[in-house]
Amino acid sequence: MKILVVDDFSTMRRIVRNQLVELGFTNTLIQEADDGNSALTMLRAQPFDLVVTDWNMPNMTGIDLLRTIRAEASLKGLPVLMVTAENNRDQIIAAAQAGVNGYIVKPFNAATLKEKLTKIFERIAAAGAGA
Amino acid sequence: MSAAALPLVSAEQLPPELHDLLNSADGAAFEQALDALVRQREQHLFRALGQLARDLHDAVRRLGNDLAQEGVPGRVADVRKHLNDVLEMSAQAAHRSIDFAERMSPEADALAQNAERVLDAVAADAPAAALARQAGSFAASCRDGLNDMVMAQSWQDLSGQRIKKVVNFIESVESSLLELVHLTGALSGREPPPVVEKISGQDEADRLLSEFGF
Repeated sequence: MKILVVDDFSTMRRIVRNQLVELGFTNTLIQEADDGNSALTMLRAQPFDLVVTDWNMPNMTGIDLLRTIRAEASLKGLPVLMVTAENNRDQIIAAAQAGVNGYIVKPFNAATLKEKLTKIFERIAAAGAGA
Repeated sequence: MSAAALPLVSAEQLPPELHDLLNSADGAAFEQALDALVRQREQHLFRALGQLARDLHDAVRRLGNDLAQEGVPGRVADVRKHLNDVLEMSAQAAHRSIDFAERMSPEADALAQNAERVLDAVAADAPAAALARQAGSFAASCRDGLNDMVMAQSWQDLSGQRIKKVVNFIESVESSLLELVHLTGALSGREPPPVVEKISGQDEADRLLSEFGF
């Protein structure tokens, strides 16, 4: 399993990484990117199973990253979990319309992260079983 | 009452010359009189505009001079730097807390495992068993507390994002101020402010002091 954590704040990348390990993703390769552009370069270079991304970042925001992922044939099925301080109704709707798989508002706790991740992986498993 | 609601001027309210002209058959004279009236109005308008332009120019020049003399653009740059320093220092502090949690977590895990081993090896009512149970529960609450401490460091991201927004705003104000100061020419021929050299920490302070025999 490979997870890409995208956030311009190194503190938050580390917190998310810590929580993923805490939730039992120990046999998981967790990589980091500091904005949408560098995330895209990594996603195009190697396969990932999940992207956890912030919204507000320089160069390319999380929502633009999500839209680009959904528009690109080789990436469009990739699950994307948004972890962001943006709590405007319109932004949450925009993320949902762009095809986000989960949306967590900062500050979050480990239980919330676990709940959203479980939901994402359950849906993937269900889709895989149905296919 | 709004201007749009005012009734149109009736012919009786017009100045007699205009009234006469309106009623005269002399089209050319009417046009001339109308032109003269319009020109007169335009002259008033242009004079007022000229005065406004001069006042604005003076005000901008005074403001530019004042800003340059008081070193405002430089101070704004300093403020921006201070905020970036806060951002950097808070990130370092948050990382140090996470470092600590990452260092202590495996120790708590090891303590819990050792406690389990002791509990397996000794009688349940042995004094060592009581201590092992206490150590086990202490290790568990340590793990929870350390994890909470890691999560709590998200304050740095949340406060940092706000600081970044303020820094961006200050940057735009700063460039506008500089443009204003440059526009008014207040910077031309002025000496640049002296650069204040800062040291990076105690080590550098000690090195510097040692050069003076401290």
